[in-house]
Amino acid sequence: MAAGCIPAVNLINQAGGVLGHKLECVVADTRGDPADAVPAASQLLATQSNLVGILGPSSDEADATAPIFNDSKMTMMGDTGAASFDQNAYPYFWRLTPADDVKGTAMAIWGRQKGFSHAAAVFGNDIGSQTDVPTLVKAFTKLGGTIVSNESLALDQGDYRTEVARMLATNPDVLFIEADAQTEATFLANLKDLHGLIPVIGTSLDQAMYQAVGGAIGAQNMHDFYTTIRPLIGSLGTSTKTYDQALLASGSQVPKPDQWISDPFCPAHYDEVNLLALSMIAANSTTPSTYNSYIPQVANPGSGKTLVYSFDEGQKALAAGKQIQYVGASGFIDFNKFNNSTTGFEAFQFQLDGSTVSLGTIPIDEITQANS
Amino acid sequence: MSIAWQFYISSILVYLGVDVMACWGLNLQFGVTGIMNFAYIVFQAAGAYTAAILTLGPSSRSLFQHYIGGANLPFPIPIIAAGAVGALLSLVVGTFTLRRLRVDYQAMVMLIVSLIAINVATNQVDLVNGSAGLSLVPKPLSQVLNLDLVNYQWFYVALTAVVCVIVFLFVHQVTRSPLGRTLRAIRDNEHSAAALGKNVTRFRLLAFVLGGAIAGVSGAILVEFIGTWAPGSWTYAETFVLFTAIIVGGTGNNLGVAVGALLVPVVFLEATRFLPPIGYPGLIDALQWVAVGLLALLFLWRWPRGVIPERRRRFRKPAPG
Amino acid sequence: MSVLVASIGFGLISTSILAIAAVGFTLQFGVTNVFNLAYGSVMTGAAYAAYVANQFGVDIWVSMVLGGLFGAALSLLINRGLYTPFARHGLGLAGIIQVTLALGLILENGLQAIFGPSYHSYQMSQGPSFHFGSMVFTAVQVGIMGIALASMIGVHALLAHTKLGKAMRATAADAPLARSCGIRTEFVTDIAWLLSGLLCGIAGVILVMDLQSFTSTTGSNFLVPVLAAAVLGGIGQPYGAMLGALIIGMVSEVAAAVTLPQYKEVIAFVILLVVLLFRPRGILAEVASLKEVVA
Repeated sequence: MAAGCIPAVNLINQAGGVLGHKLECVVADTRGDPADAVPAASQLLATQSNLVGILGPSSDEADATAPIFNDSKMTMMGDTGAASFDQNAYPYFWRLTPADDVKGTAMAIWGRQKGFSHAAAVFGNDIGSQTDVPTLVKAFTKLGGTIVSNESLALDQGDYRTEVARMLATNPDVLFIEADAQTEATFLANLKDLHGLIPVIGTSLDQAMYQAVGGAIGAQNMHDFYTTIRPLIGSLGTSTKTYDQALLASGSQVPKPDQWISDPFCPAHYDEVNLLALSMIAANSTTPSTYNSYIPQVANPGSGKTLVYSFDEGQKALAAGKQIQYVGASGFIDFNKFNNSTTGFEAFQFQLDGSTVSLGTIPIDEITQANS
Repeated sequence: MSIAWQFYISSILVYLGVDVMACWGLNLQFGVTGIMNFAYIVFQAAGAYTAAILTLGPSSRSLFQHYIGGANLPFPIPIIAAGAVGALLSLVVGTFTLRRLRVDYQAMVMLIVSLIAINVATNQVDLVNGSAGLSLVPKPLSQVLNLDLVNYQWFYVALTAVVCVIVFLFVHQVTRSPLGRTLRAIRDNEHSAAALGKNVTRFRLLAFVLGGAIAGVSGAILVEFIGTWAPGSWTYAETFVLFTAIIVGGTGNNLGVAVGALLVPVVFLEATRFLPPIGYPGLIDALQWVAVGLLALLFLWRWPRGVIPERRRRFRKPAPG
Repeated sequence: MSVLVASIGFGLISTSILAIAAVGFTLQFGVTNVFNLAYGSVMTGAAYAAYVANQFGVDIWVSMVLGGLFGAALSLLINRGLYTPFARHGLGLAGIIQVTLALGLILENGLQAIFGPSYHSYQMSQGPSFHFGSMVFTAVQVGIMGIALASMIGVHALLAHTKLGKAMRATAADAPLARSCGIRTEFVTDIAWLLSGLLCGIAGVILVMDLQSFTSTTGSNFLVPVLAAAVLGGIGQPYGAMLGALIIGMVSEVAAAVTLPQYKEVIAFVILLVVLLFRPRGILAEVASLKEVVA
């Protein structure tokens, strides 16, 4: 998250800050647990008197902290895919992270586009995975495919050979998988040893995941067999380049910044900071209760709006009295009435050095259609 | 004090109350009776789920979460029900695990019970919404009282304090009564207690059930406050913190245990939030667990009876009967 | 049907790893009565030791031996430096369990602090695959089963046919009596910890060779099945641990084949609980009364 926040803050401060104020990123550790996240959130509110906005937290910690931030009238950019926010009613909660159930549909669409018809769905029994499966099955079937095997895995077991054998007995031509890093790594390693890999469509996202899975099956196999479906980063160019440069330039604050270049979440965090900053300028206030309602105004598309690709462009356009649409490093942003913005997905192939190359996009319209 | 500080401090006070209650319940099982319940968090969870389900209303009304037997019962019925479910689950688990098993077997069986419970809660999605857990649990009496944010926080602190007092009176009564003496006798020498004609298994089960009821209530107080509960974090480490609190405070002594609950989960773990971040994310967390482990070892070595030791009881005459 | 047959083959691999770990656990427990909940973290420690060696270009099988030696040394150190002093200090059985749990937490999180929260893998090849009907094994898995078999035979030979083995059994049965018969129980205790640590370390490394990816929690995730196998057979009984490993290993694989895979571990555990209902000391237990820690 620092890899998104720090580059954004650096650029904003270089461009003069927000309404004369310099921004800073501070960290609060939620310790991966909703019960620990509540004191973390309230401690943050108590100790940071100049708090202007929150990035995160993720998953069920968001459920526990959203009411606190909302009651305190503090704008938060949630980092959760949980379905509990699909029809979010907290005015101060915003989400660029796509909902987990939408991701399932995106995986199904990509699988059908690549011509697979007999799919195995193997998901860990943890949070995101359980939300993905129903939409994946529904969409894949609707698009004319068959789910031949649908298994739920207990996490972090000693091996998954029997589960692999069960799956292979149904002769799938593609494997949809999502679980925690250890589980996915062991399952795929077992598959490789027993039969050889088959095409895999996963959601492998971060460095830890790549290390675990890539380490278990090898970089070459990762390249040959594994396609990962992730939120649209978009080869939109300008914004992404600005972000990448700012990230690499922040080497003294972000350890090994280049490792985050292909991480899908960092540009989203970068965008979130820019959105907060631009809406403050549009509202002429750094108080969340004032600027909060300006967030869609600086992000959503609209006729006559000027497209801006960085904070600096945005503040200049606003100063010139223009209506702006901030195009993010993570793609186009379009908040709906539930403060959710989902702009589609993208498929990636891993290269031998662990970086990723885009294979194509799955637009949000197609997902909505397959989901209906 | 600023609103935000009031908010933080009131939250911590609620957590303190929950931890103190949980430690009293565990102390009744472990400190007083000698049962190594490494599954304690499961009974807390059972209470939390019960309270959440009985507050959330019917499952069919929710778009994103599914659970069994939802209802919309008024305060304080969900909390009382949570205690009842904690007790009932303890009765079932205790009946199967407390018979004739050595203390180390019991410890292992409890680890297994907690693994089974986590597996069932995550895999049976229609039971308590699987690993996503339950969320958006309404706060008790918030509609009726119509307080602003900070005042509601203080109301909840008061509510927690009242429940703490009730639980304290209860555990105090139990530990000083003849029942408490019997339980300590079983802890100190099971065979002598049995030789005196005490039904060791039945007394153990009784302590286990009472402790389980308190665990359930503490879980309910917590979930009604934070509004969400998920099985993701029921590791043995969470229970170990409570054990450490009991050891540090004074095994078997209710007052000592309350001090332990203040020192370990609240002061010790909360203080690290004020440290500046060092190293990679998660490093402080890892070092903090190392520190909790060292703290437990230090006390077991240097002050095994804790900050406020259990009083040694002397009797002039042998008790009649 | 072929999935069922295959799952029995897979059960053999799980059984092999479990058996080494469970026999190691129970050997030590039988002699000293320490219910060592830090065992899983020592497995992880050995896996990291082998990882470091492997990173320096040492062959994985040699690294495994180094991991085993690391486990042996660490276990001896833990007992001499921590458990024995605590037991002499007058801490009872329950207190020692707390100590082992605290140590497990310290080791696991200490390893995480050193190696970070990310995942590591060995530089190794799984080798060619061998087919036996519908069972498939890689060369590494055949090696793992061989090591397990050799370890079991070794433990049997030691206990049944050597003077040391007899001394260990005597100490296990009654330490004060053994001491008064002239057995150097301290030496026997050291040997028990060394052997237990060796098996623990080897089990940690082969677990990771089989998983192919690991992190600081890998060993402690594996702890409960190991305990289950050791207790199921009758704790302190090496043959019981082998039997327990066979039952737990087979049941979880076969359960994954015929029922819902997400419950495979649960089914094995439920079997253990049922067995303990009828035989509270495990299947093969004779003498497992409540004793204090031997120090």
